[in-house]
Amino acid sequence: MGGRFFSLLERNSSTAHTHRRVRRRQPRLYRCLSLPDILTTILFLLVNGLVWGLIVALIAIGLSLIFGVMGIVNMAHGDIYMAGAVLSFYVTGILGNFWLSLILVPAVVLLVSAPMERFVLRPYEGHHSSTMIATVGISFIIQQIVLGTYGGIPKKITNPWPISFNFLGVDYPGYRFLVACISVLILVGLWLFLYRTSYGILVRASMQDREMAGAMGIDVSKVLITTFVIGSVLAALGGVLAAPINQVFYLMGNDVILLSFIVVIIGGLGSLKGTLIAALSLCSVEGVLASVLSPVQARAAIFIVMIIVLIRRPRGLFTE
Amino acid sequence: MTDRLEPEMNKRSEKPTERRETPKYLVLLFLLLLLVMGMVLPKGVRSLVTHMMIFCILAMGYDVCFGLTNQCSLGHAVFFGGGAYGVVLSMLHLKVGILPAIFFSLGAGFILAVIMGLICVRLSEAHFVIITAIFFAVFHLFAMDLTWLTGGDDGLSLKLPSISLGSVTFSLYDPMVNYYFVLIFLSVSYLILNRMARSPMGKIFVSIRENEKRLQFLGYDVFRYKLIAFIVSGLFSALSGGLYALTLRYGSADLFSFHWSIMPIVWCLIGGIGTLAGPWIGVVIMSLFQYYVSAWWTYYLILFGIIILLILRISRKGILGYLISRRFT
Repeated sequence: MGGRFFSLLERNSSTAHTHRRVRRRQPRLYRCLSLPDILTTILFLLVNGLVWGLIVALIAIGLSLIFGVMGIVNMAHGDIYMAGAVLSFYVTGILGNFWLSLILVPAVVLLVSAPMERFVLRPYEGHHSSTMIATVGISFIIQQIVLGTYGGIPKKITNPWPISFNFLGVDYPGYRFLVACISVLILVGLWLFLYRTSYGILVRASMQDREMAGAMGIDVSKVLITTFVIGSVLAALGGVLAAPINQVFYLMGNDVILLSFIVVIIGGLGSLKGTLIAALSLCSVEGVLASVLSPVQARAAIFIVMIIVLIRRPRGLFTE
Repeated sequence: MTDRLEPEMNKRSEKPTERRETPKYLVLLFLLLLLVMGMVLPKGVRSLVTHMMIFCILAMGYDVCFGLTNQCSLGHAVFFGGGAYGVVLSMLHLKVGILPAIFFSLGAGFILAVIMGLICVRLSEAHFVIITAIFFAVFHLFAMDLTWLTGGDDGLSLKLPSISLGSVTFSLYDPMVNYYFVLIFLSVSYLILNRMARSPMGKIFVSIRENEKRLQFLGYDVFRYKLIAFIVSGLFSALSGGLYALTLRYGSADLFSFHWSIMPIVWCLIGGIGTLAGPWIGVVIMSLFQYYVSAWWTYYLILFGIIILLILRISRKGILGYLISRRFT
């Protein structure tokens, strides 16, 4: 039983590397299981999708926050996620402890992203298409630097917490529960920062009306840097958490950026609550669908959901 | 967000009417030069120039969307790949000749552009950019996955029938014929697009770029004109994709890759957006850059990223835009 489910885990994340590899289609689930088995399987996949959804929510909320405050359509966001995963690979390799990367990687990303926002991205802000093109350029630079230093071969980080819980008769890897807990903690921390601290008020004020915020004496430049750093750190943390689950690969960001853009569009650009809800629901739906369909077909189903949402509510489901 | 940009926009339109039209005789001279060069050039360079001319069509097509109506799309790889597969699949399965196959590629581009345009064009700038990018990514995934249809990464190769016009027959296997075949399409596309840009409709396109809100107040149906520009742009991108597949005698899922979405933007930005022929300069520069630098350094995409950042920073007018603005002021 356990073996089959672990192969399911692999499959859920296999869309990441369609770029240069031919995938083998796996046997469909419903042919080889009885009804109670199917129910547990669906529950299992749902939980699995939710865990992945929490990671995607971290990334997509960063994207949404950056867009909302500074008007940057950040195409390099997926590559920051990838950089987080790669850095955690190095931290694990050199220091021998995966958990240190949860502290070290955000520090590195902070040191890189703050000057990046101030000196590279600042002139383009506000013009959506310019920021998009500029961040594509940054994305190329990050990808190629990683390709040059880390190499083009997907590598795996060994599971840092190889314990499995028995969850409704199914062995569930403990690391994923831990990932879910950490993600929820980070999200709660973000919420507390935005809604319960005075600096969060400044960020939200700049999100509503940047010019007015500046006129009220808020140091908008500092707020912009903070926001960009927070968004990037969220993406990098997502990468760190996902590194033992997915393979670490220099193009792994492309899959995630696609998913988080879909999430952000459905949830509503710049709406954090909508992004969170959309990430969780879409990822669990995709997780369940991936048991019946191939990963690409599941992705296509979500794409069609997005188009229907766009036709009915062009500004997303959760915008005021 | 748009309100904040408003003062800037007004400033731009207050300047004495900004000319972005290329002097026609220069372009005709350039086409004539290409005509002569076909006979003189050595073989390797000629094939490079053939590729450049195909990219020129893509760049011009993209310029209709980006330069004339200011819709920055990341989805043109879909049209490029769709056009290429229009040629490949119609020739493989329907056994049609080369010219009908090009109509198939135009048809594919038209259908894709209409579907994508109806969904994306009415949305705001940020939505437009993101959703065209999502379209591109999903189509790329599909092209990779549906190997029975597209051949995936390995691709499908073609056998070209010869073209017969009356009593004369040509074979595209002859690189010289291929060169002139592409040149004819390039000239015709330029003439059509140039005519369109100078027509009243082209003026409306430019007005959409300069001040969309004012045009709405004047009573124009902005959505319709933006959609038309998007579809025209998709058609020419598809034509370019079809010609590329014919020249390579091959089509693979790689024709849907991000390269074909980002390159047109870079070509247009370097050459000068909204000038139609300006992107040709961008094509030549970037093709030479890729040809030589990629041979010299594996990670040349780093330089490519830096170039993108620099062009955006220095000027969005591009080389030709700069030259024209110098000449007329």
